Amino acid sequence: MNMVSLDKKKFGSFILELSAEYTVYAPGKAGGKTEFIPVESEDEIDLKTLVTDLSPKGIFFPHSEVLYEYDKEGIRVPQKETGKPIAVWGMRGCDSRSLLMLNKVFGSAIQMPDNKNFQDPYWKEKYDSSVIFGTGCNEPLSTCFCNWFEGGPHSSQGMDVFVADAGDRFLMEPVTDKGRAALDKMSSFTDSTEDDKTTAAQLASEAQGGMAEPMDVNGLGEMLNNKYDEPVWEEVSAKCINCGACTFSCPTCHCYDIQDEGKGSSGKRIRIWDSCMFPIFTMEASGHNPRALSSQRVRQRVMHKYSYFPEKYGEFLCTGCGRCVTVCPVNLDIREVLKRINEYKKQGITNG
Amino acid sequence: MNTTDNLRKTIKTLVSEKKVDLFLGWEKGSLPLAATPLFVTTEEEADRAIFDVTCGNNLSIYFTKDKKQYADKKVGIAVKGCDARSVVLNILEKQIKRENVVIVGVPCNGVLDKKKVLAATEGREVLELMDNGDTVTVKGKGFELSLNRQEILSSSCHACIYPDAQEYDFFMGEARGEVPNEERVKEIVDFQNLPDSDRWEQTRVEYQKCIRCYACRNVCPSCYCNVCFVDQNDPKWIGSTCEYTDTVIFHVIRNLHVAGRCVECGACERACPMDINLLMMNRKVAMEVKDRFGDVAGLDIDGKPAMSDFKEDEKQKFIMG
Repeated sequence: MNMVSLDKKKFGSFILELSAEYTVYAPGKAGGKTEFIPVESEDEIDLKTLVTDLSPKGIFFPHSEVLYEYDKEGIRVPQKETGKPIAVWGMRGCDSRSLLMLNKVFGSAIQMPDNKNFQDPYWKEKYDSSVIFGTGCNEPLSTCFCNWFEGGPHSSQGMDVFVADAGDRFLMEPVTDKGRAALDKMSSFTDSTEDDKTTAAQLASEAQGGMAEPMDVNGLGEMLNNKYDEPVWEEVSAKCINCGACTFSCPTCHCYDIQDEGKGSSGKRIRIWDSCMFPIFTMEASGHNPRALSSQRVRQRVMHKYSYFPEKYGEFLCTGCGRCVTVCPVNLDIREVLKRINEYKKQGITNG
Repeated sequence: MNTTDNLRKTIKTLVSEKKVDLFLGWEKGSLPLAATPLFVTTEEEADRAIFDVTCGNNLSIYFTKDKKQYADKKVGIAVKGCDARSVVLNILEKQIKRENVVIVGVPCNGVLDKKKVLAATEGREVLELMDNGDTVTVKGKGFELSLNRQEILSSSCHACIYPDAQEYDFFMGEARGEVPNEERVKEIVDFQNLPDSDRWEQTRVEYQKCIRCYACRNVCPSCYCNVCFVDQNDPKWIGSTCEYTDTVIFHVIRNLHVAGRCVECGACERACPMDINLLMMNRKVAMEVKDRFGDVAGLDIDGKPAMSDFKEDEKQKFIMG
């Protein structure tokens, strides 16, 4: 199947068709903010918002997830309520790319020292069967910086179907076999015309042109490694208040804590989002904290994204969605931190 | 001379005459709707200081960050009326010494709440903002709007009685004096008059939004415990999930921990990424404290914080009924 065209008047029936096969998530309003919520009809979907306040990572990696419950009878893993796989509508390129990164951590087999492979069953159960309908961004925001990395406003990385919003219709193009199979089961759309293809290409090039000039991130990881002990961290972190707004809104931050909530002989073990911005994140039982200072914690966040992760997985752990920029209560702009680090490159100083 | 020019000149003098090692102010940030904290140590840096409707941050949080990082330094600070009360409270609670702080008051006509601006632009991104006093102009792609200042002010500013610093070393312009504000308690009284079940429902809905990022706690100048109760895990006082049974407990306990200490600056509410109405409950407690103990947090540098003091004749409802 090639590109198909979905008349926006038929969007409602398309969502109904999709709902028959999948549990559908889409951007919607939740308590005044936008996030990806389970939807059943077109009315609940916010087609306007570009970058939702909360990232869609919570669909596959929820803030609080019960891993198992226990009592004297034994251990039980909670079962999903419906057996339907997940479909996500309206995910932007920054967010769909983030899922590929998270999948490297949770989904790909990691060779453990004892030669066992580890995969996270809770992630895999939700992610592997999911279908992502991603939407291109025609008018990127001033906080968007996906073009710094390997993304772009009309990038389809991490999507199963790429959707271009062409005003009165959506132009949908399958990216993966999974996406093709999902579209094959539906009928609300028509075949695309040559005009549609031209329109899609034009939207993509206009969107790309609407973005600010990217910073050159080549060699950023090595630069950071050389700056580990520099006073620059105190400088850039001076205003940080060490809340977790950036990490919790980030589509790629994935650190978590495991906590037990027990009463008597029963209880549950819960996985809960954690943040390297919190002092307790690294607090040791002895009372010693290797990252007691704000500057050490800010450094950790930057290093993990732009040095440690690329070293291990071959790409930056940042898709340039700009949520951390928007949400920060003190306007600590990660782009400015990276530009500050990059200044060293311009000065030709690379070694300490 | 306008406030910003006046402020820059004062900071320059303080820095050049070595009256302060560091000055805490605001500068234009990377986004139009919020200024960003500025740390001035040189005269050149002083030229970046501003004061306008975007300067919402209460800078006194930095006194207690990283276990009183500036304890041995002389620090100057620019303050709105509410921020000044935080500085005073920090002094009364012996976190900083009065003689180590140079307080510079700015005449405040209120600071904006991002969500109200975005409501006015119907979600369209703002790329430029100009503070014209009674109006604020915002520009974006294909639009320009002139907004009435009152419509975009933070709810804390609508409830404000003391816009000027009551304790200061320098004041940058004309003080506004106390603002009579009959309407300030309306929201609270309306809430109080609801039936219990409605009050609970409203509270539950509000706190259910919480994602436990603790931005509210971390921007709060009165929240500076070395280890916050939510971070204690031996014993563990409270669950860490975002179920409302956990989030309500977090917010209610925080609310009570800042009783008689909350200066109602609204920083928590403006910082909240989930738009939780955090201020109403704090303001309710501040009302109670005023009513029972006659104390307004951080207003009187010669006073004692309500919770650190005891008077024989004070109203004790829980004993006397």
